[in-house]
Amino acid sequence: MPGDPVSMLIAERVLKPSVAEEVRIKFGLNLPLWQQYLLYIKNLLSGYLGYSFHWKEPVIKVIMERLPNTIMLMGVSTVFSFFIGIFLGAISAWRRGTKTDVTIVTGSLLFYSVPVFWIGMLFLMLLGYYLGLFPIAGTISRPPPREFFARIWDFLYHMTLPALTLTLISFGDYTLLMRNTLLDVLTQDYIVTARAKGLSEKVVLFRHAMRNALLPTVTAVAISLGFIVSGATLTETVFSWNGVGRLIFDAMMMRDYPVLQGAFLLISISVIIANYVADLLYGFLDPRIKYAGFQGG
Amino acid sequence: MVFWIQELNMLVFRGDKMVFRFRIKQKQYIKRLKNFSSMYFRNRLGVAGLLLLLVFILVAMLAPYIAPFNPHDVKSIGVSQPFSPPFWIKFFDKSIPSDKVYGLLGTDELGRDIFSQVVYGARVSLIVGFLAAFISIFVGTVIGLISGYIGGVVDEILMRITDILLIIPGLPLMIVLAAILGSSLMNLITVIGITSWPSIARIIRSQVLTVKEMKFIEAARAIGCGDGYIIFKHILPNVSPLIYVNAALNIANAILIEAGLSFLGLGDPNYISWGMMLFFADQYQALIKLAWWYVFPPGLCILLVVSSFVFIGHALDEILNPRLRLRR
Repeated sequence: MPGDPVSMLIAERVLKPSVAEEVRIKFGLNLPLWQQYLLYIKNLLSGYLGYSFHWKEPVIKVIMERLPNTIMLMGVSTVFSFFIGIFLGAISAWRRGTKTDVTIVTGSLLFYSVPVFWIGMLFLMLLGYYLGLFPIAGTISRPPPREFFARIWDFLYHMTLPALTLTLISFGDYTLLMRNTLLDVLTQDYIVTARAKGLSEKVVLFRHAMRNALLPTVTAVAISLGFIVSGATLTETVFSWNGVGRLIFDAMMMRDYPVLQGAFLLISISVIIANYVADLLYGFLDPRIKYAGFQGG
Repeated sequence: MVFWIQELNMLVFRGDKMVFRFRIKQKQYIKRLKNFSSMYFRNRLGVAGLLLLLVFILVAMLAPYIAPFNPHDVKSIGVSQPFSPPFWIKFFDKSIPSDKVYGLLGTDELGRDIFSQVVYGARVSLIVGFLAAFISIFVGTVIGLISGYIGGVVDEILMRITDILLIIPGLPLMIVLAAILGSSLMNLITVIGITSWPSIARIIRSQVLTVKEMKFIEAARAIGCGDGYIIFKHILPNVSPLIYVNAALNIANAILIEAGLSFLGLGDPNYISWGMMLFFADQYQALIKLAWWYVFPPGLCILLVVSSFVFIGHALDEILNPRLRLRR
């Protein structure tokens, strides 16, 4: 069974069983579920996400503390894997059937199949514990450096391994997507026309083919940007990264439902926004979409 | 069996020729199956994936004969000292005493044989992968077919449900469900299965929408075919290539997710799995102790099994997806 947060507090010896009933009444946990839900909606409409049972802080504060860490980590790795992906995907489609193509495709598929926490553990063991090149846990040194730039440097230093891990497992997706779209584009008539005009292969690739092939990849990135705030639970767990993904897991284990509700609400909102932005972006990048709108009515 | 072959021959001919017949003779089934397999076996990645998968299926089935111990048996605890490296380490480092090494892959924190755990772990991965993917493919296909074929209000309702599930990030949702339902293999399969169908439903639906408008459907309706007949005999065979490709990728994802959930400690404690081995390795500080023989093998196995399905999916996609064929 889900378990009730108050019994969790008793188990943690924070609460005496005698006070438990009082706490239940205070948080409205004694009410039937639908009344609790109405209470939640009422609080939500006045901008109050609730109070965390475990962290004993307002939910919004708990999430906001971790959000920047997650956004930095996910943002950096998404951007890197996007650029690696379009680069490798373009080469591989352009050299279809050659050894380069086979290597890139096989490599992308292999990295797609790697369990992310395992590759993180290997990095941690080899580069962290064995060679001592990188910090083994956390988002920043304890105590954090005082100076502003030293602090940023320290943060980036801590972020290197998790970001590298995430980039490695996600670039394969973009590579294959880019390759598939580019292969499709390269068979189009306007590419034949461009070649027939005597344009150099480079111009055909970059000016004619790449531009059109980028569309689906850009949309895919825009959508995946929406999931940035959900973090990467597994990577964050391996590297003890203080982010939202880890928070969701911890909150579930602690039966801290207000935090979970808050986190899922935040994620849903950002995914919806990202999807909307992706739609707008698509219309902006591809003029044909607007035409279709006019004609179809 | 016949049904299966019939599906296969439809899928071979989709793309370069649209051949739609109400009855295809038995001989032609076999001919087309041969045609398909000759195309498949020319794809190196596909063949590699298939061989790799066969190896793991054999290992999973013959686990009691391959592994020296049953990892669920108490007798396997303490067969050697905790964190003993594998025996072959002595070829590289002669200074390690013989009583400190054990077995093909060393021992874990309780002195259990790691090789046995790795061998038995294949069972959990494959079972979870196949069953979870079966659930999600089944649900996704049914919803995609209904939604695309019937359209209207039904389509709206089903697609909004799909959208809601697509918006909620996969892994966090599964963590919540797995934690609420409790750790058992069946729950894990159910959780993975019922959360990964939305993308399949969307793909199937969009294909159904295309196929539905084709002339032969109109013809079938004109001669008085019922909806059920049209869906199963005409539409399903035309969306089935997509089902095959997505099935392979879905199994791969299900195995990865099972490993991830087990790594977080949400796995079924009664069945040792590769993800769970890595969970224990992390918990008992195998990383600090540099126990690479504990960390390396389970992850490598996950990688190989998952990549075998990914390779198969990729090969099927290259063969079945008309957009990827060489037109030049």
